[in-house]
Amino acid sequence: MRRSSGAAAGGAARAGRWRRFVKGGGVELLLLILGILILWSVISRIIPNPDRYLPSPLSVVLSSYDVIWKGLLPNYIGQTLWRLVVGSVIGLGLGIPFGIALGLNRTVSDMFYPIMNFFQSISGIAILPIIVVWWGNSEKTVFAVILYTCFFPITFNVLTGVRSTPMILVNALRTLGASRLRIVKDVLIPSAMPHIATGARLGIGYAWRAVIAGEMLAGRRGLGWMIFTSQDADLTAQVILGMLLIGAIWIMIDRFALRPIEADTIQRWGLVQR
Amino acid sequence: MPAKLIVEGLSHHYPDEYTGEDVHALDQVSLSVEDGEFSAVVGPSGCGKTTLLNILAGLLPHTEGSVRVDGREVKGPGPDRGVVFQEHAILPWRSVARNIGHGLEIQGVPKNERERRAQEFIDLVGLSGFEDRYPHELSGGMKQRCALARTLCANPVVMLMDEPFAAVDAQTRITLQEELNRIAIATRKTILFITHNVDEAAFLGDRCFIFSRRPGKLKATVKIEVPREKRIWKELLSEKAYTEPRDEILHLVREEVFDEEE
Repeated sequence: MRRSSGAAAGGAARAGRWRRFVKGGGVELLLLILGILILWSVISRIIPNPDRYLPSPLSVVLSSYDVIWKGLLPNYIGQTLWRLVVGSVIGLGLGIPFGIALGLNRTVSDMFYPIMNFFQSISGIAILPIIVVWWGNSEKTVFAVILYTCFFPITFNVLTGVRSTPMILVNALRTLGASRLRIVKDVLIPSAMPHIATGARLGIGYAWRAVIAGEMLAGRRGLGWMIFTSQDADLTAQVILGMLLIGAIWIMIDRFALRPIEADTIQRWGLVQR
Repeated sequence: MPAKLIVEGLSHHYPDEYTGEDVHALDQVSLSVEDGEFSAVVGPSGCGKTTLLNILAGLLPHTEGSVRVDGREVKGPGPDRGVVFQEHAILPWRSVARNIGHGLEIQGVPKNERERRAQEFIDLVGLSGFEDRYPHELSGGMKQRCALARTLCANPVVMLMDEPFAAVDAQTRITLQEELNRIAIATRKTILFITHNVDEAAFLGDRCFIFSRRPGKLKATVKIEVPREKRIWKELLSEKAYTEPRDEILHLVREEVFDEEE
């Protein structure tokens, strides 16, 4: 983390941030977004009945003012984020140890690999109907879908990570007299860290989609629910607002919560190239 | 005093991974390494050198014969035998100091004591100042110094080394060979060193075991009677006590290599 003190240092830091922004293609990105907004405004101006089919960016912003003023939006975002956090924490808590346990034994992991791959391919939305049959339109249903969606990519990646540990590292520890438990702790888990991080990022990414889908079909409140009910009420601007927020919030989660974890541990060990 | 490492009538067979055919890797190998002796095993590739090392390390169960270290039969890996592998065997997520102290950590040595003893070996192998570096920040030669120190620090009865300098460049290898000789003087360790490089075997070994190609058999034993203190490349090249046994080993190894090419 950068620490700066004094106005000069602050100014230098700001200049540095600006340089990195420009170098990282920030200006191009801003122009691209601006282009999309202009194109969007033009289209919504030329089509008939834009309020129903494609409200202009301005109407979307105004509609957000409306829901924020009513205090609904922060409430919905909080609800959705809460579901994501609880669901993915449970998913990680179950998936990581399960993946490690499966990875320890070649026969067991060979057996489970196709099963993991099978379930990974059935998306959360595809299992929603059966869960609704079991538990109805309840909070339980939403959590079940999130959990299901993030569990398999996490487990699958952790399993792959443990399995791809170089045998020479395991052998080196065995010749130092290490127990099985110590080999798991000192070699297999750290070696699987890049895969664990990838699995977590993928799993939480899928969970984010699942929570929206779950809210649409089975939830009360939340962003997904907002999109769904806004459509019923013919409030297309709010539907679009919901979509934009889903994308924007994900970018923030990824940038400020998931990527720093990866950078802090794995890059320091030289396990991934900077 | 009985030898530290005794191998008797050791044979090993295994089914080939792809064809399933029976591979006869080692055939009736008997050898022993005395306390404090530096022995080198040299032979053409495919002579079962690495198989021998894996059996001695306890990583591979043998089919016939016996291996004893300090009188005890080898049944699996154990801290009485330390192994230095070819390369990439130190943990990338541990700093140099924590890699070197790892063996003591496994043995349950308290932190202070562990750090003090690790520091001794960090200094011995010339890694002072690099304690907090991670392996990816080190050169190939430094990584092998780190691996060597890790094994030494765990204080094994016998050190097994599997072509540890094969992957470094020629200049670094010469330095590492002289360093290892210096460390052998300082620690008086019993060492079994595996290599396919005749010069390396003759430079380091008190005794060289020459292996035939598959099935690996002990073909001959050659003694090199140069005092450890005199083993410096610049001086050794004109020393008869080195060049004569070296030529003899070269001749013995060449017979094996050329046989194969017929």
